[in-house]
Amino acid sequence: MIGALLYLRFTSLLNLVVHRIRRLRQPKYLVGAAVAAAYFYFVLGHRPGTGAAQGIAGVPGFAGDRQIGFAIICSFLCLLGLVRIAYAWISPPEKPGLRFSEPEIAFLFPAPVTRRTLIHYRLLSAQISILFSAILMAFLFNRFGYAGGSRWLHAIGWWVILSTYDLHLNGTNLTLCRLREKSRHFLLWRLGAVAAIAAYVAAVFWCAIGLVEALLSGMGSARSGSEHFMEQILDSPALHWLTLPFRIVFGPYAAAGLGDFAAAMVPALLILAAHYYWVSGTEARFEEGSIALAERRAAIRAAAHRGDIPAMGGAVPKARPGPFPLAPTGVPEMAFLWKNLLSIRSSLFSRRALVLFLIVMTSMFIGPLFSAHASSVGSDAMRKLVVALCGMFAAYTILVGPQLARQDLRNDLPNADILKTYPMEGWRIALGELLAPTAILTAILWFLLLASASVLDAGEGAEWLTKGVRLTAVACLGLAAPLVCLIQLIVPNWIMVLMPGWYQASRSRVGGIETFGQRLMFGVIQLLFALAVIVPAAGAAWLIIFSSQWVIGVGPAVVLATLVVLPILAGEAAFGLWWLGERFEKFDLSTESR
Amino acid sequence: MIEVEALTKRYGTFTAVRSLSFSVRPGEVLGLVGPNGAGKTSTLRCLAGIIPPSEGTVRIAGHDLSVDPVAAKRALAFFPDEPRLFEYLTVRQHLTFVARIYGVADYEALAKPLLEELELAEKADVLPGELSRGMKQKLVIACGLLHSPSVMFFDEPLTGLDPLGIRRMKDSIVRRAREGAAVVLSSHLLHLLEEVCTNVLILKKGNKVADGTLAGVAAQFSNGEADVSLEEVFIRATGGSET
Repeated sequence: MIGALLYLRFTSLLNLVVHRIRRLRQPKYLVGAAVAAAYFYFVLGHRPGTGAAQGIAGVPGFAGDRQIGFAIICSFLCLLGLVRIAYAWISPPEKPGLRFSEPEIAFLFPAPVTRRTLIHYRLLSAQISILFSAILMAFLFNRFGYAGGSRWLHAIGWWVILSTYDLHLNGTNLTLCRLREKSRHFLLWRLGAVAAIAAYVAAVFWCAIGLVEALLSGMGSARSGSEHFMEQILDSPALHWLTLPFRIVFGPYAAAGLGDFAAAMVPALLILAAHYYWVSGTEARFEEGSIALAERRAAIRAAAHRGDIPAMGGAVPKARPGPFPLAPTGVPEMAFLWKNLLSIRSSLFSRRALVLFLIVMTSMFIGPLFSAHASSVGSDAMRKLVVALCGMFAAYTILVGPQLARQDLRNDLPNADILKTYPMEGWRIALGELLAPTAILTAILWFLLLASASVLDAGEGAEWLTKGVRLTAVACLGLAAPLVCLIQLIVPNWIMVLMPGWYQASRSRVGGIETFGQRLMFGVIQLLFALAVIVPAAGAAWLIIFSSQWVIGVGPAVVLATLVVLPILAGEAAFGLWWLGERFEKFDLSTESR
Repeated sequence: MIEVEALTKRYGTFTAVRSLSFSVRPGEVLGLVGPNGAGKTSTLRCLAGIIPPSEGTVRIAGHDLSVDPVAAKRALAFFPDEPRLFEYLTVRQHLTFVARIYGVADYEALAKPLLEELELAEKADVLPGELSRGMKQKLVIACGLLHSPSVMFFDEPLTGLDPLGIRRMKDSIVRRAREGAAVVLSSHLLHLLEEVCTNVLILKKGNKVADGTLAGVAAQFSNGEADVSLEEVFIRATGGSET
C-alpha cells in the first residue's frame, strides 16, 4: 500500500517539475527563472574569499569568532525549536492532527489504509521539502561563512537536524492527540511538559551565564584563547550533559571533515531512529485534527492567493464596525477609503493596541520637541541611533511598504467587473482605492518624522537646526509624504493592470523560483521608479535650500523648496492616477487569461 | 432605453460578438440565449460598461456608454452569475458602501424593505463568508436594486437560489419591468425565459440568429407547427449544437 502512496507523491512531484519546466516557454516565467537563478548564483552560491573545504576551526585567527558565531546560531535555532514545541504543549489545537493536504484527506482517509501507513506517508511526504530545505540551508549558511567545509556534508547535516525536528513535532502532535483522547489529566500532562521545557531552558541559561561570567573574569588579558572559549563553556560538566541531545543532532553539520562527519552521524542517526520509533508507534486518532488543520491551511492559501495578508492561524474574519461613519452622499472616493480600511485584518492589528502604541510613542517623542529641554532626551549616541533607525524605517516604508499595504485595486482584482459598473471615472476609482494604503503609509511616515525631529538637536556643528527649522522641515516633509506614498502605490497597481498575467503569477504562493524571480523584478522596478520620481525632486529641493538659505535663512528656504517640489509631485501623482484610471477602464481580466 | 447598434467585440483575432443591433424599451424583458460560447456574456459585459466594445455604440437611458459612461452607469445595474462581494463588509455595510457610490441619500428607508423582500434582514450584520451562495446572490441583487436602476442586466440570475428564491426573483424581474425598467436577462433556463421575457434574442457564434417577441421568434422557427416550445425553437435556431 505504501507503494501506491509513494507513487502518488512522486508522480505529483514529477508532474509539478514537468509543469514548471513546460511553463518556462512563457516569457514571464523564463525571465523570472533567469533572474532568480542569477540571484541564487551571485548572491547565495558565490562565497567570496573561500577556496578549499575548511572546518569550523580551520581558519587561524578567525576560528574562535566563527565558533562563537556558529554556536550562537545553533543555540538560536535550538531555542526556536524549543519555543515551537512548547507552544504545541501550551496551546494545542482543539483537535491535534498531522499535516495532510485537502486532496490527500479526500483520497487517502476513506481508502483502505491503516493509520500507521498514513503516518509513514506523511513522514515520507515531508522528506521532499526537508531535502529541499536542507540544500537551501547549506547554501545559505555557507554564504555567510559561519561553517566552512563541504556543502554536501552540510546539506546532510541539515537533513538530520530538520528530519529530527519534523519527527519530534509529529510525535508531539500525535502524543497530544492520544492524551486528549485517552487521558483524564490532559491539562496536567501539558503543564508537566511545559514545566519540564521551562526548567530545561532555565537550567541551560543559568549554567551558561555563570560560566560566561567566570570565564570572562578569569580570562582578562588572556583573550587570545577565544577560540577555546565556546569549547570551555560547552565542555563544562553540567552544560555538556544538558546540551548533549542537541549537540548530537547538530554533530554531523558541525563536523570539520569526513571522518568527524561519519563519527557524528552514528549517534545522530540513533536519535533520529528513536524519534521514528516514537512517531510510528503512537496510536492516535489524528483524522479529525488533520481535517481541521488542512482546512485552516487551505484558508491561509486562499487568502494569500487573493493577495491578503493571511490571518494568524487562518482565523475567520469577523464583522466590525466601520472606521468612521459613512454618509450616503458626498465624494464616492471616501466610500473606498472606508471599505479598504475595514479590510485591514483585526487579527494582525488590534486597533486599540495600535492607538495605545501611538499615544505612548508620540508622548515619548513629541513631548520633548515642544519642551524647552529637548537636549535632555537621551544621549547624543542614542539620538543618532533613533534618527538612523527612523530613516531606515522610512526608506523601508517608501520602498517596501507599497508591496505590503495592498488594500487597493490589487485586493479588489476579483471584483474588477463590479467596480467598473460604478458610475465613476476610472481615475476616481483608482484614487478611491489608493486612499487607504496611502493613509496607512503616510501615518507611519508622519510618526517617523515626528520621532526624528523630537530627538534631533541643535548640537555642536549644527547650530542652524533650531526648533523652528525642525518644525518647518517636519511640516514640509509631512506635506510631501502622502504624495510620495501615493506615487509609490501607483507603481504596483500599474504593474497589475498592465501585466495582470505576471501579477497573478507573482501573487500566488505556489510559484517556485520563477515567481521568486518575478517578485524580485517587481521589487527592482519599484526601486527604480522611486529613484526616478523621488530623487530628482529631492535633489531639486536640496539645491533650492542650499542656494537660497544664505539669503533667506534655512527655514524659509525649506518652505520655498517645498512650494516648488509639491506641485511637481502632485502633477506626477495626478498623471499616474489618470493613466491608471484609463488603463483600468480598458482592463479586462478575461482577455488576459485567454 | 437600451439601444445597441453594430456592437462588435473582438479578443485579438477572435470575434466574440459580430455587429449586433437590438433595442429594449421600458417594460420589456429581453431574454438573451445561445449555446455556450455564443457571446452572451461578452454582450452583457459590453452593455454594462465592464469592457469596451471593439466597434458599435451602446446607449443606456439616452446616454452613449462610450461618451458619457458615468451618466449611463448611474442608470444601470449589472448582476453577474457569480456573486462578487467584499469579504470584510457585512450585508448592511455593503448597502452603505453602494449607497455612497450612487449617492442614494435615503438609502436606509430603501434598504429595509429590500432586505426584508430578499429575506436578508436577519443577516444584516454578518459577513459574506457566513452566507450561503443563494444568500450572496440575494445580497448582490439588493446592492444592484438600491439605486432604483431603470436598466438591468442579469447573467444567469437564478443560479444558487432555492425554489422559493427562484419564484421571488422571477416575480421581482417582472414587477420591475412593469414599473418601467428595461431588462436584459441571459440564461440557459429556457422555461424561465418563457415565463419572464417579452422578447428573445438568440445568438450563435457571436451572430444574431433571431430577435423579436417570443411569439414572433417561435413563429419564425415553427415550420407551421402550433405550440412550439422555446426549447424546440432554440434547438432549431442554433442547429442543435454548440458550434
